[in-house]
Amino acid sequence: MSAAAVRAAAAPTRGLRLRPVRKIRKLVHDNRGLPIPHVDIVVRDTHLSRLGEHYYNTLADDLLYLTYKHESGPRPPPRSIRLMYDPEDPYAKLRHNPPVGGSQVGRKLAPPTTSENVICLERIQLHTMSKDALASRQNLLGPIMALRALSGETEQGGGRRGSTGVQIVRGVKSVGGWVRPGLPLGAKVDLRGAKMYEFLGTLTEFVLPRLREFPGLLLPPASTNLQTPAGVSGVVSFGLPPEAFGFFPQIEVNLDAYPKTYGMHIHFITSARGVGAQERARQLISGFQIPFVRR
Amino acid sequence: MSTSSLFRAPWRKVAAPRPNLHTAVILNRSPILTRTPTSFERAYYAYQARIQRALHNPFPHDFYFKPGSLLESKFNLKERKRDRKAFGPGFGADHPLAPGAGVTAQNLNKFGRDDDETPAPRIHASDVNGDVKSLDRKGQRNLYLLIQQKTDDAAVWKFPETAVVDNELLHESAARDLRAICGEAMDTWIVSHKPVGLYEIHPSTTLTDAAAPPKTCVFFFKAHIMAGQVRPGESVTDFAWLTKREISERVNHQYWDGIKDMLSDF
Repeated sequence: MSAAAVRAAAAPTRGLRLRPVRKIRKLVHDNRGLPIPHVDIVVRDTHLSRLGEHYYNTLADDLLYLTYKHESGPRPPPRSIRLMYDPEDPYAKLRHNPPVGGSQVGRKLAPPTTSENVICLERIQLHTMSKDALASRQNLLGPIMALRALSGETEQGGGRRGSTGVQIVRGVKSVGGWVRPGLPLGAKVDLRGAKMYEFLGTLTEFVLPRLREFPGLLLPPASTNLQTPAGVSGVVSFGLPPEAFGFFPQIEVNLDAYPKTYGMHIHFITSARGVGAQERARQLISGFQIPFVRR
Repeated sequence: MSTSSLFRAPWRKVAAPRPNLHTAVILNRSPILTRTPTSFERAYYAYQARIQRALHNPFPHDFYFKPGSLLESKFNLKERKRDRKAFGPGFGADHPLAPGAGVTAQNLNKFGRDDDETPAPRIHASDVNGDVKSLDRKGQRNLYLLIQQKTDDAAVWKFPETAVVDNELLHESAARDLRAICGEAMDTWIVSHKPVGLYEIHPSTTLTDAAAPPKTCVFFFKAHIMAGQVRPGESVTDFAWLTKREISERVNHQYWDGIKDMLSDF
């Protein structure tokens, strides 16, 4: 037998070498004897979201066509920002040193329109302030329970780390005889994903149609300056009066369990940025059948 | 040699003839039903729903229901059914020690039965009898309006299309096109002032006349139908509301290659 033949005969065994048998880790059991899985369990979507499908099937296309701005050629480089005083100058070192020409935040250009950055709804924030929480912080329990019933969100609910649940809003600055920093004032909750679309559906089908003399969300007058930080951040906000509280089906079933009715602010936070972001955000929101009127 | 050509600067050329401009409207009926999830999606959602059911926070019965109320019994009964479906008999609300375990459907009957609402069927009559003119057909899909027009040799299916008249903007032409061809009996909304697509028709033979338009440009506009129905004018022999695949079966190959990317797959 030649050396080559021996090598050829030996080759297959090298390829077929068996891997060592993997040890199966034993599951840790909790005090009731139930196994604790190795992985973090996270609850994802449990059903197809109706309004989410509406967004992907219809709204996204329409919004691309509506918000598309044709640009011929690449954009010019952004203006270089010059500060009022030379930062190297020791005389001006500690002075307030704003950029010449004022803040450019409200004049920030929107990113070029592509099919990848079509405006979408990122989250809905519900926020309620309860004045009587100043007298006793127990009065916050009502709004907290209401927001929990409305949103179904709990802290790290469904194993999601980002889920903050209902948060308590505290005073930021001191207002004479009224608010001090750190004083609990209200509650807020963020809704994302399927729950966000579910809330939006409830709002447009159960609450807004039953409001008395509700023409729609008031648009700001045409003369409003939208080149402000709020105007370019793509957030649409409005308030619901306390009368609307009982129209939510989640609240309606046991309205008498709440000490009183609460109004709330609803913020639709979209992905629109730059000049005209608020108009684009309204176009998106109106696609979910939220009416707007000019006063 | 004419005087005008004597004085014309030698580098200026005669203006090339302009193409014919046409506008067409892609009139869309968006889905009116949420689509049926695929079998994979159904399995995924059922699995996630079971996890959620197993891990959710305890339900605050005493916050939502007065003890012993009819509403509570109804809720417990339904919850028991749902838990039995998710985990099999004997778990969760189906456990013999769970709240309201003794309540049966017969107990609830003494309070009077409330009629269960049955949802409308997801398949419309027009799906069964193949009526392509109905706006209720294929509720889960995007439908597009296609019209049939007689040309000199054959009947051609295409989107409603018209030539742009002088000094008219493209989107104005699209709106006029829709009213003229499809009648006034519809509420429609043209989504944007900008065209969503372009289809170029080149003449089949090489042109001998230098002044003739070299091609026809058709600009497409997307529109939605909100209410009403098409009442076609005399130029139209037939119309149909079709899905993307059904459109591919009716239009010619060249036209299909030009329009297929403007339509929604689903």
